[in-house]
Amino acid sequence: MKIRNYIQVKTVEAFHEAAKAADGPITILAGGTDVLVNGREDDVYKDCTVIDIFPVEALHGVCETENMLLIGACTTHEAISHDPLVKQYAPILAEACGAVGSLQTRNRATIGGNLANASPAADTMSALAVLHAELVIERDGEARVEPMTAIFTKPYKTNLAQNDLITTIRVPKQSPNVRYDYVKVGRRKVLSISRMTVATLLEMDNNGVVTRFDMTVGATFPRPMLFPDISAMLVGKRPSEQDIIGVAKALSDKIPEIAGIRKSTIYKQPVCRNISERSLRKLFADILK
Amino acid sequence: MSNIKLSFILNRKPYTVETDPGKRMLDVLREDLGLMGTKEGCGVGECGACTVILNGKAVTSCLVLAGQMQDAEILTIEGMRDDEIGRVIQECFVEGDAVQCGFCTPGFIMSAYALLMENPTPTRDEIRHAIAGNLCRCTGYIPITNAIEKAAKTLAK
Ligand SMILES: Cc1cc2nc3c(=O)[nH]c(=O)nc-3n(C[C@H](O)[C@H](O)[C@H](O)COP(=O)(O)OP(=O)(O)OC[C@H]3O[C@@H](n4cnc5c(N)ncnc54)[C@H](O)[C@@H]3O)c2cc1C
Ligand code: FES
Ligand code: FES
Repeated sequence: MKIRNYIQVKTVEAFHEAAKAADGPITILAGGTDVLVNGREDDVYKDCTVIDIFPVEALHGVCETENMLLIGACTTHEAISHDPLVKQYAPILAEACGAVGSLQTRNRATIGGNLANASPAADTMSALAVLHAELVIERDGEARVEPMTAIFTKPYKTNLAQNDLITTIRVPKQSPNVRYDYVKVGRRKVLSISRMTVATLLEMDNNGVVTRFDMTVGATFPRPMLFPDISAMLVGKRPSEQDIIGVAKALSDKIPEIAGIRKSTIYKQPVCRNISERSLRKLFADILK
Repeated sequence: MSNIKLSFILNRKPYTVETDPGKRMLDVLREDLGLMGTKEGCGVGECGACTVILNGKAVTSCLVLAGQMQDAEILTIEGMRDDEIGRVIQECFVEGDAVQCGFCTPGFIMSAYALLMENPTPTRDEIRHAIAGNLCRCTGYIPITNAIEKAAKTLAK
């Protein structure tokens, strides 16, 4: 692809310096699995200084604090899907990352790139939404923290400036009692761009009363979303079959409400309803008995 | 943009090439180095024909920028004959009729190689998982899965 300049950096500081020194537009390059596909069209990057951050070691890997997992933005989907900390404290994310593309794609594609690319079909978004993940974003050496869902403005658009670097994805550690389910619907078993993902995370007390509930649909809305009204439908209750049917209906009704009526609505709405019911029945199997 | 010098280890030998870092790794292999074994099918990461091993991992070389080859260790199909695992996989592909037109074969062999390097005793499901990013329009995949299974067994002896 045509580019103006290529700079490889090995530290976050070097990224900021390169971003400051560049005249004209810059493009951050991580795994390149979105950039190289976009770059095939219309010389989109011909005026860009490409800053390759994949070699920045500090942006790779997962570590933990008392309450958080800190995932480096350049950690690949394959690495996240096998990471012992992620599998222990946020297994829904391990599953979502394992559902991305093929092994070859997952070996290269990063979680930071998945978010910054802002495709509504990005597989990690629904999982990160129900996990209430946050992003650490650095501009010119200054860091800020934002909710993951806050950076997206519309499909393929974020509010990130060109010199904003996502450095870390912060994921609250989940207790072992948290139940989750992640479903991806695509056209081909692997390597398909999601038509829909449904991510659910919940916790109950010893009496089967729901203390926390988040459920969302991905690849369906212009950006990742959480629905407090849907969460409120189950929190404080010991769910019945009727509640499950009600939640699945309410969630699938969000599709025409938010995304408008499209050609796909007639397909997506019942699929969402069925998957949601199935997911909830599985998660509450012992309560519904 | 103008050329830069890229140094890397390819098939266990050091190389330095002067090339446009905005090219794809696939083009550096085929055009700059004349290594035609790595194939281009789709050019967008979906067929696996261009699979190579980059720093120990199977990746699609159509989605790696040339600049990203700097300091890397790369293995391509051309490096397979000097490697026991690579040689055995190739023999099992030929003997097991896992090759028809052959266009997809280098990509499958690189995926199989990456698998057997990491997991010398894969189950059939693990084999299928490892080659799920490679498309073949001739064989129907069963001979390919069999060949990889046989290669693993042969190597274990
Ligand atoms: C064959 C194929 C199959 C795929 N299948 C799936 C799938 O099933 N599910 C799915 O979700 N995606 C899929 N994708 C899309 C892609 O692989 C993912 O979105 C991937 O996570 C992008 O990461 P990357 O590191 O390759 O990003 P890059 O291509 O390097 O970058 C993507 C965008 O993010 C920006 N960026 C990258 N890192 C940062 C950062 N740290 N801070 C700020 N901006 C940054 C870049 O400037 C660019 O705009 C697929 C792609 C291909 C080619
Ligand atoms: S040519 Fe690279 S995956 Fe098809
Ligand atoms: S042998 Fe022809 S595509 Fe696989």
